Amino acid sequence: MTNGTTGPGVGDAPIIETRDLHKHFGDVQALAGVDLAVPPGITGLVGANGAGKTTLIRLLLGLTAPTSGHVAVFGTPVAKDAAGLRARIGYMPEGSCLPRDQTAADFVAYAAELAGIPSAEARRRASETLFLVGLHEERFRYLGDFSTGMQQRVKLAQSIVHDPRLVLLDEPASGLDPAGRDQMLEVIDRFHGFGMNVLFSSHLLDDIEQTCDWVVMLDGGRLIRSAPLDPPGDGTAVSVEVFGDPLPLVAALTARGIEVTHAGRIVTAVSASEEVFVSVRDALADSGSSVRGMGTDLRSLEDVFMAATKQANG
Amino acid sequence: MSSQESAIILDRGYRSYDGPRTGRRGAMAAVVKEGYRRVLGLRRKAKRKLFPWTLIALALGSAGILVAVEWISSSLPVSLDTSELFPRYAGYFDFISNVALLFAAFTGPQLLVPDRTQGVLNIYFSRPLAVRDYLMAKGATFAAVILSFWLFPQLLLHLGYAALSPAGFLSYLGETTDILWKVPAAALVFFTMHSSLAFVAASFAKRVGTAAAGFIAVLVGLNLVALLFQEAGSAPGPRWTSLLALEQHPRYVRDWIFDLDASIAIPAQAGYGPEASLLMVIGVAVVSVAVVGWRYRRLT
Repeated sequence: MTNGTTGPGVGDAPIIETRDLHKHFGDVQALAGVDLAVPPGITGLVGANGAGKTTLIRLLLGLTAPTSGHVAVFGTPVAKDAAGLRARIGYMPEGSCLPRDQTAADFVAYAAELAGIPSAEARRRASETLFLVGLHEERFRYLGDFSTGMQQRVKLAQSIVHDPRLVLLDEPASGLDPAGRDQMLEVIDRFHGFGMNVLFSSHLLDDIEQTCDWVVMLDGGRLIRSAPLDPPGDGTAVSVEVFGDPLPLVAALTARGIEVTHAGRIVTAVSASEEVFVSVRDALADSGSSVRGMGTDLRSLEDVFMAATKQANG
Repeated sequence: MSSQESAIILDRGYRSYDGPRTGRRGAMAAVVKEGYRRVLGLRRKAKRKLFPWTLIALALGSAGILVAVEWISSSLPVSLDTSELFPRYAGYFDFISNVALLFAAFTGPQLLVPDRTQGVLNIYFSRPLAVRDYLMAKGATFAAVILSFWLFPQLLLHLGYAALSPAGFLSYLGETTDILWKVPAAALVFFTMHSSLAFVAASFAKRVGTAAAGFIAVLVGLNLVALLFQEAGSAPGPRWTSLLALEQHPRYVRDWIFDLDASIAIPAQAGYGPEASLLMVIGVAVVSVAVVGWRYRRLT
């Protein structure tokens, strides 16, 4: 048995690509002109309810056809070979998807056979995968007797049992207690080392921050951000409280190309570059503003998401 | 303690797979295999085995009893024509068709309802398996299970009669070659009607029991409606209402195949020939395939 330590082996070529992707359900626009290139690794898919996350996942699986536009996985257009691609994609749905009358071992083996793994090998892999997610002892229990946390682990196991190159996880930590959530994220965090790429949809931005190295943000069917997620946040923010009018400082920072927000006399400058400190110093000097207080804080993914949403909505 | 003795496995990691992948055909085969297990209660709790195996025991047991009766009567000093007292092929077929109706009412919904209501379709269709593949695999499972249910007891009966025949085993088989096509042909007609209606019921019902009850209620209810039109002299319905008696069509065709008097069949009394009943069976199957296909396309 080998414990892979390398990535998917596809270099920096995008694993997921969409071009001008549109999907309408009648009058409802689920996706609108999404241009996306997701690199190998663990990618977070973020968006509110109705943002288009599930529609995007279904398009990647070839379960629904785009209204217009192009979608490809591993460079292969989904429309061209959806069944072939699905053999190398794992999917963990958000909702209930387990048969109550089967044992965990039987179901995970069956899931492997559905992906084309021969029967004897499927049973071996089911046992190993259930060990990986911490359910080896319980593998002969019926799924109807499992707790929510255990069911989530079985769902995760079935998504990787057939050695997929891409795993689509829809709210994998949903319904788990904090300890169960941490264990789930720990397992997911190891997937890239097993040669798998992950697209991880979640409402819980903390989970994305903890696990992912790239983030895709959707809002109302539109792509609002697809960028690396540098731990522990996406850029550094410097907050400056000034005496008097903050606007000269805002103007000076904006002139230096720094993203600025201000509330009252507190001006916050944000940049992915560590040069933001130098820019703030120079802007203070140029604007002649008097500093009352100053500090740094790291932007959370939630701040980034809210800012991106706000910007996208004008 | 040596270092080897104290060694423990903390993590077995993950093993990649470079072997063959069987694609859509393999996925369909897996669905068929799992369907077989589900309807027979294999790898399930004991209570899930009770109903199917009771019916299987009833079907096989009744064939065994008929053979035993034949054996006992053949060993009596007086000659006894058991065919007058106990049903032979057509009569046994009549009995087994009622048991098979119950079996189909249970089996069809078992194949479709849990997958749909428990959300397992989300996983099926994320694999290299299209909706059409899934339904074809389920249909193949249903056919294999139901036709086995029909044919194995009949085979047991046939071989038993052959073994007890005074003319000898092979002579008896030679003289009754028509059974070898009549029984499967009649079973196929029954299967087509039963499976079509059971799948339609199973495509919409949220529970196995509801689907089974709905399936039987439709068959019995439509029979009653057709009878009502036929019997109510004061308000005779149009002739075609006799065709609503869906349960009667396979029986009428079976009697046609076995060359039996079928004058009491509801469609026969309305003046329809068995060909019309055969067309009705085919028509119901075509409509059912369309309805189930539409339903699953909408679901996915």
